[in-house]
Amino acid sequence: MRKMFSVLIVLVVTMSLVSSVFAETELKFWHTYSDGEEKVFLEQVLPIFEAANPDIKVNAIRMPYEGLNQQIITAVAGEVAPDLVRMDITWVAQFAKLGALISVDQMEGFDAILADALPGPMATTIYKDEHYGIPMNTNTTTGVFNLERLKELGFDAPPATLDELLAAADRADPSNEKWLFAVQGSFSWAMLPFIWTLGGSITDNAFTTSTGYLNGEATVNALETIKSWLDQGIISSCVLGEEPGTWGGIEAGNYAMVIEGPWFYSVGEAKPNFPSSTIPSVDGRSISIVGGENLVMLKGTKHQEKAWEFMKYMLSPEAQLPMVNAGMIPTMASNLNKVDTSESPWMDAYLEQLKTAAPRTPSAEWPSIEEILNTTFESILRGTISAQDGLNTAAAQIDELLAK
Amino acid sequence: MKKMNVVRVLKKIPFWILLMAFMVSALIPFLYMLATAMTPQAYTLPYPPILFPQSLYLNNFVEAWSSNHFSDYFLNSVYVSVLSTVLIILVSSLAGYGFARMNFPGKNVLFHLLMFSMMVPTLTNLVSQFLLIKNMKLMDTYLGLILTYLGTGIAANTFFLRSCFLSIPHALEESVVIDGGSHWTIWFHIVMPLSAPAVGTFAIMAFSNVWDEFLYALTIIKSPNKRTLPIALKMFQGQNLNNWSLIFAASIIALLPILFVYIIMQKQLIRGGIMDGMLKG
Amino acid sequence: MCKGIRQWCQALPFIGPALILLGVFVLYPLARNIHISFSIYDILADSITESVGFSHYQALFQNSKYLLALRNTLLYTLITVPGQMFFGLVLACLINHIKRGQTIFKVIAYLPVLTSWVIVSLIFRYIFMSGKGGLINYVLMQIGLISTPVAWLQNEWTANLVLWLFGIWKGVGWVMIIYLAALQGVSRDIYEAAQIDSANSTQIFFRITIPMVRNTTLYLLTVLTIGAFGAYIHVMMITEGAPLGTTNELMNFMYDTAFSRYDFGSAAAQSVLMGLMIFLLTLVQRKVTTETIN
Repeated sequence: MRKMFSVLIVLVVTMSLVSSVFAETELKFWHTYSDGEEKVFLEQVLPIFEAANPDIKVNAIRMPYEGLNQQIITAVAGEVAPDLVRMDITWVAQFAKLGALISVDQMEGFDAILADALPGPMATTIYKDEHYGIPMNTNTTTGVFNLERLKELGFDAPPATLDELLAAADRADPSNEKWLFAVQGSFSWAMLPFIWTLGGSITDNAFTTSTGYLNGEATVNALETIKSWLDQGIISSCVLGEEPGTWGGIEAGNYAMVIEGPWFYSVGEAKPNFPSSTIPSVDGRSISIVGGENLVMLKGTKHQEKAWEFMKYMLSPEAQLPMVNAGMIPTMASNLNKVDTSESPWMDAYLEQLKTAAPRTPSAEWPSIEEILNTTFESILRGTISAQDGLNTAAAQIDELLAK
Repeated sequence: MKKMNVVRVLKKIPFWILLMAFMVSALIPFLYMLATAMTPQAYTLPYPPILFPQSLYLNNFVEAWSSNHFSDYFLNSVYVSVLSTVLIILVSSLAGYGFARMNFPGKNVLFHLLMFSMMVPTLTNLVSQFLLIKNMKLMDTYLGLILTYLGTGIAANTFFLRSCFLSIPHALEESVVIDGGSHWTIWFHIVMPLSAPAVGTFAIMAFSNVWDEFLYALTIIKSPNKRTLPIALKMFQGQNLNNWSLIFAASIIALLPILFVYIIMQKQLIRGGIMDGMLKG
Repeated sequence: MCKGIRQWCQALPFIGPALILLGVFVLYPLARNIHISFSIYDILADSITESVGFSHYQALFQNSKYLLALRNTLLYTLITVPGQMFFGLVLACLINHIKRGQTIFKVIAYLPVLTSWVIVSLIFRYIFMSGKGGLINYVLMQIGLISTPVAWLQNEWTANLVLWLFGIWKGVGWVMIIYLAALQGVSRDIYEAAQIDSANSTQIFFRITIPMVRNTTLYLLTVLTIGAFGAYIHVMMITEGAPLGTTNELMNFMYDTAFSRYDFGSAAAQSVLMGLMIFLLTLVQRKVTTETIN
């Protein structure tokens, strides 16, 4: 009897050991990778993680980008949320404020991550002094040039300063749809690189006030300059949403330069006739915008520890370096040093540009701030309001939001 | 005699011009879509615009079909749409019959409630309907989705079928009632067959509404293997911004099944119409 | 009393399922929505955090963007509902006249209805592209109506015009099918009698056809008005409210309020207002139409 009992115990213990080894935890991971990015992720990044963690199965689900915020909210509220989401860096504060995310400050190994992560991308995970995720990849935009058009304008290589480029303005021919360059739209993602490069700003460096900065002389001048480009036919009405857009326009030779992200190069065939270079500078300034995605854990996950394992893995060189060829820049300083761009020479300009790129106002109110900026910029460019008046109103509104 | 014919033909000319104007304006956008789908991809608009396919270039269709689980999504959509349509017809024709042919206390009050519900745009309650599905633990299930389709359209659907049933002369039923037939017999053997053309039209509308429905599907369904075609299509557009040739190729693939269903049903409608005429005669 | 119970026992299997669905999926959410409209609502906790009375409603009437969306929805309804009904009825009469081969015409006319809103919106966006390569710009320039390309979707009124054209184009086929069903129910004898009285086709149209399809017209008016108020995909896909929110309509604005700004209280207030407007509008329509016809 006693023997049988001990056999039973041994059996139970072995069974539980075996089952704990083979019981797979499924992590649901929502992302919005493009075709090319998804391929690299599924073929080169994920297999290594799953081989090292046989008890974890990552179910990577590609979601439509449009309406993703609604998807996340309804999934969390409906208790069918995934464990992990890769989301735009500007969304994190807002979702943290809604209470949809789990803070990672207390997780094992977080301090080491904090020490190695690039401060800019890491700052985008903060809401009220806590970190609600990890920076997965960063990016920015630079000048993308049409070599043939540059030659017609008398350049052998992308010009280093905006003045050089603007000197060729008399050779633009708007009536035949040949403009000098393009501003992608009047929304902040497209406008801010020009505004910053021209010397303007949205707030002070601590992101506490807008009045005196957004409606300061430098920003007003920047907006008036962009408006004058539009009026003189140096840039096209692409900035107001008209055709031809930046992608079609640069390929068809409507523009000598557009400002685009690395995805211009990571999609489709190699584009040797369209070199990348940092945004032509003004008074030594060439300031683009910081983009990228963070990886967050959603409230309601039953596998916090395993999800955290996956989050940590996504910061490792095994995960971050292969994604470079898909245009994703590493967020850890130690990985950034190992980047090899020989297969993707166009990445050099992006890495260079990133050194001076500026973040958008980190705030849970960013969506509202962005709406104010977009509306103001468009009104100014359409001439329905003067730059000074429009920016005065906007600065006052943004101050209210920042005070929240 | 000949002169009469000429006059008759001449009289018909404005008629045909008008009809053709309608047909052309309905068709041109589709022709343009087809021609674009059959043009090798360029991110810019071709100038001058291509209105007729230049060659039998089908790569865009192949690419659209193969780069997505279109066949899976297609089957999901068929499943949801067919089941919803059958249930919608069943429930709302019964209710339509009840309001058209039966008497019971409080009928007027209930009917006004129905009319009132018709005036609530279904989508305005999206948030609270979503909460309801969540509380019923039906998130991410087809049951939740189909019940939502059934529930949100019930007022308008019942109202429509009731109007159809009202136009059927009572005389035909009286013989059945005299013979001791029940309401079920009348509903199944007289009212439904007699309204076949209307119910057929109704079925097509119900089917295409569900087939194209986007917002509820996106809100309730979360698993990728349960997605329906509109979600897949919208996602496809997001990923291929400005690649109009590919987008339109995918759109045409999504459009074909419903076109097919419509043409099949159209024959049924004609048969129904003939039967209608026979009974009247 | 006994009779009433017996009648109910008979009727319940017929109307029961519909009544339950109506209660669960329409009336209960409606009541809950009204409750939410007076509160600040936390969707993640699924609870009301604060009761704020009418403040959502008051804020809406001072919100110029909401009023702009309201204006656009009213214009869209006032233009596309009569537009669809007029062209739909004309088309139904034309097709009803054809003796053989009606099917092909019906299929073609119904094609825009069958095609999903998403796809049709994309087609419109593509056709009305700015620049000389857009189809509409190309055609208008070829026939000399315009000399330079028009940026249809980037200007307030041309963009709204495109949305109206969209609404009419998308809906005519549906109206046609409904009217055709009604017309085919009209006895041929009436038309023959009219022809013997040597009435011309315009007279027949106004004196016989329109009165004969009166009930259908009432039905369409109600359904189309509700449809026009609740439409959103066309704005979402064609203009996205651009330029500067001047093409936003109520449904889009509400959707944005709820799911981009997570202000579910205000969104609920908007939907209550929308329900009220439609209710009043349909009542007025009913009264006016009935009076003019009689």
